[in-house]
Amino acid sequence: MSIVPAPIARQPWQMLIPLFVLASFGAAVLFSAAGGNMQPFAQSHLIRFGIFLVMAVIITFFTRDAMKLLAYPIYLIILLLLVAVEAIGFVGGGSQRWLNLGFMTLQPSELMKPAIVLTLARFYDTLPVGMVGTWRALVPAGAIIALPMALVLLQPDLGTSLALAFGGVVVMFLAGLPMRWFVTSGIAGLAAIPVLYTFALQPYQQRRVTTFLDPESDPLGSGYHITQSKIAIGSGGLTGKGFNQGSQSHLNYLPEPQTDFVFATMAEEWGFIGGLLVIGIFALILRWGWKVASNSEDRFARLLAAGMVATIFFYVAINLMMVMGLAPVVGIPLPFMSHGGSSMLTNMICIGILMQVYHWNRRTHRRGLD
Amino acid sequence: MNAMSLMDPLAVRTAHPPISERSQLMSLREEALDTARMRILLLVALFVFIAFLGLMRIVYLGSSDRAYAATTLEEALLPARGEITDRNGVPLARMFPAYSLWFNPDAMGDGGAPLVNSPAYVAAGLKAIFPDMDQAKIEARLASGKAGYLRRRVLPEEANRVQELGELALEMPQEPDRHYPQGSMAAHVLGHVAADGHGRVGMEQVLDERLRDPALRGTPVALSIDMRVQGALEDELERGMKLNDAMGAAGIVLDVDTGEVLALASLPEFNPNKIDQEGASNMFNRVTNQVYELGSTFKPLTVAAAIDAGVVKDFGRRWDAKTVHIGKSRLRDSHSYGETLNVAQTLIHSSNTVTARIADELGAERLRRTMMDLGMHERPYIELPARGHPIWPGEDWPRIRNMTVSYGHGIAVTPLHLASAYAAMVNGGTWRPATLHKLAPGEAPRGRRVFKESTSSRMRQLLRMISIYGTGRNADAPGYRVGGKTGSAEKPGQGGYRRTSLISTFAAAFPMDRPRYVVVTMLDEPRGTVASSYQRTAAWNAAPIVGRLVPRIGPMLGVRPDERRDVDISDLKPLIPGADK
Repeated sequence: MSIVPAPIARQPWQMLIPLFVLASFGAAVLFSAAGGNMQPFAQSHLIRFGIFLVMAVIITFFTRDAMKLLAYPIYLIILLLLVAVEAIGFVGGGSQRWLNLGFMTLQPSELMKPAIVLTLARFYDTLPVGMVGTWRALVPAGAIIALPMALVLLQPDLGTSLALAFGGVVVMFLAGLPMRWFVTSGIAGLAAIPVLYTFALQPYQQRRVTTFLDPESDPLGSGYHITQSKIAIGSGGLTGKGFNQGSQSHLNYLPEPQTDFVFATMAEEWGFIGGLLVIGIFALILRWGWKVASNSEDRFARLLAAGMVATIFFYVAINLMMVMGLAPVVGIPLPFMSHGGSSMLTNMICIGILMQVYHWNRRTHRRGLD
Repeated sequence: MNAMSLMDPLAVRTAHPPISERSQLMSLREEALDTARMRILLLVALFVFIAFLGLMRIVYLGSSDRAYAATTLEEALLPARGEITDRNGVPLARMFPAYSLWFNPDAMGDGGAPLVNSPAYVAAGLKAIFPDMDQAKIEARLASGKAGYLRRRVLPEEANRVQELGELALEMPQEPDRHYPQGSMAAHVLGHVAADGHGRVGMEQVLDERLRDPALRGTPVALSIDMRVQGALEDELERGMKLNDAMGAAGIVLDVDTGEVLALASLPEFNPNKIDQEGASNMFNRVTNQVYELGSTFKPLTVAAAIDAGVVKDFGRRWDAKTVHIGKSRLRDSHSYGETLNVAQTLIHSSNTVTARIADELGAERLRRTMMDLGMHERPYIELPARGHPIWPGEDWPRIRNMTVSYGHGIAVTPLHLASAYAAMVNGGTWRPATLHKLAPGEAPRGRRVFKESTSSRMRQLLRMISIYGTGRNADAPGYRVGGKTGSAEKPGQGGYRRTSLISTFAAAFPMDRPRYVVVTMLDEPRGTVASSYQRTAAWNAAPIVGRLVPRIGPMLGVRPDERRDVDISDLKPLIPGADK
């Protein structure tokens, strides 16, 4: 240990090494999805990973107080960006979700996912412990979640707005809001599903849901994505068809082999072993995240870390269930493997903040030991 | 749930602590921390559950669900069914991307009328494209609003014209179709593929699994058939059938040393590309499935058995040729060639009486044994699914049955049986099963010995003499050294044999100095026409087919015509009066 410089030795390598493996494996799958080329997916995937890793390291330098101070301003800025996107879309005469930054297009809704967690963590940090059971614990937090959700739903982007809600609700849950609130609203939500389905969803969204329930009813139409994805995963078998041998992705049967359905592309070529590897690495990363959250002594850090883990988890869980036909098709990519700048940015921010909390914890513990 | 609500901060909500009571506040904090820890555990449990669910799903998709069968990249590029070729690689059956016409009443997707125009208008439009369509029927189908095929096969240009009708409900899904580029040629060998995707009748049925196996269907299957020989055989058979006004014809060309079938035809044929009522009725294979009393073509087999058994040693011996009386039955010859005949004359003039007497001397058991060695008592050996069972006299033949069998009556076999027997008779005495698979050198089955080498050698002389001096003269293609025997048998009908309806057969082999191929031709109920000089017997209709066929197929099979070569018959020649002229 003594040979390794201290700044490097104190990094959370138990998470970073699996993360590097995952990102490289993702690049290999993207290499295959492009028919055995670094262009156009694999190369930019690796470059983005590198850039955002630097960004994550920079995030770790922020102190607890700085984060507390920045929470509300960041939230407001991103909210304004969301409004701006809506306005541009309105002026441009169509729906738009992104801002063009030159080297990549940025979806403010993606940035909002970690921002909402940060803001809520800050909110519950300032809320006296005794007041978590009152309306004052619920209404402002509800507003913090509902505003961006409404803006994102306008785009319309169901998947992202659900992700926002999930991250926020997890923070509320961990903040200790009364259990029966969650139970009642859960039951109310279940009851509201038929109503929402009929009145709130666009016809194409309705079709996604019915297709999810019975994909074989229209295997060439709206069930196509799921059916092809399941064929890809199923045909991989135990060890897969081998690197660069996937027919589903190479022959363009599989839609979006590089983004939302990257797991299917991978599973076809690497089989059950590959799927086990990917899920195992996610388990390692998320388990590390949970440890960071439970090791933190103060409320803000714990809520922040847990919210970040939940955000990453939501991506992973929904994406995997979607490609395996266990959830409706909602355009949510697989973290660190799918090709796409915005999701990479969001997930690396989450990783950065987790590393940040990790460093706070180390410092606290060391001080405790001193 | 109960455990959770105990931990619930709500439980301590009412306790508003005074600032002084710090310890109470501390305990409140402790409890909040506990709550948070418990809730983290809950979430982790949820995560683990979902990860487990995902793993199980992959296992399920990968192992159990047969609907998602493995498809490799190579497999996706393979035809849905393997190709069949002849022995030289000429394609006989292959997959062909075709269109069909499907009526999808839901195509418009608005729940309204399935068609833009009226059913009558659309039906008229379709009628203009497909003149053979039943307009009223199609109109009723369209009006009924039920999905279904309107037509199974649509050509690309027809598909374009249907497209121009502008009806979304008329869909043209691409469906791979089985195509037989040679049309009806070798139809009985190939068979066809039915709508369920499985082969029927011929090798399509035999090879069904092999042709659909993803691991094997990339490589074509080569049959023993030679397309050029098959074409010549069908051409000559059809010519003979028409000239003689016959109701059917059959023919086979067999390699005597390997048992490979070079050509096999049964007329009238069917078109495997388009199976209709008439085609379905012609699927019956006369060569392998129909059994006939093949008559005098059996005489050489009897003589061979007698030579082999030592009953015929002296070829100069003269046999009584007068009518045979057994009980009430009388066996006669159609023409009389004298009081006595030697063995060579017997075959040349096709004498029933002498053959019967030779068989009598040979004995029923020995003739029966030879017939069984030649496979006459069981279905013919070939891959085709439809193989006729012979009408076999069973055990313990009475004397009269032995005599009739000796000249091909009272026993009914397929033409293929006869071809295999002749191959054994001329190839040195070894019987081999016939096959439709192409055999590589050295792959020929060992077979079983039926005749001695010396017997086979005698039979080559005798068969050659029949076509030089006897009833087979019309088959003697110059230079090809053809040897063979005619057979004209009356068809059994109600109440005995019908003198007017014949089966005329010619069984031959060439070149007789070193036999390579057996050719059997058969006409079903030929009539006397100008072409056959108003004769109905094999010498006038079946033999000339061989005479025309051999010069066509000989060069293809590597047999050159040579007037200076022939089997040596000088020792038997003096036995034929006038042979030296």
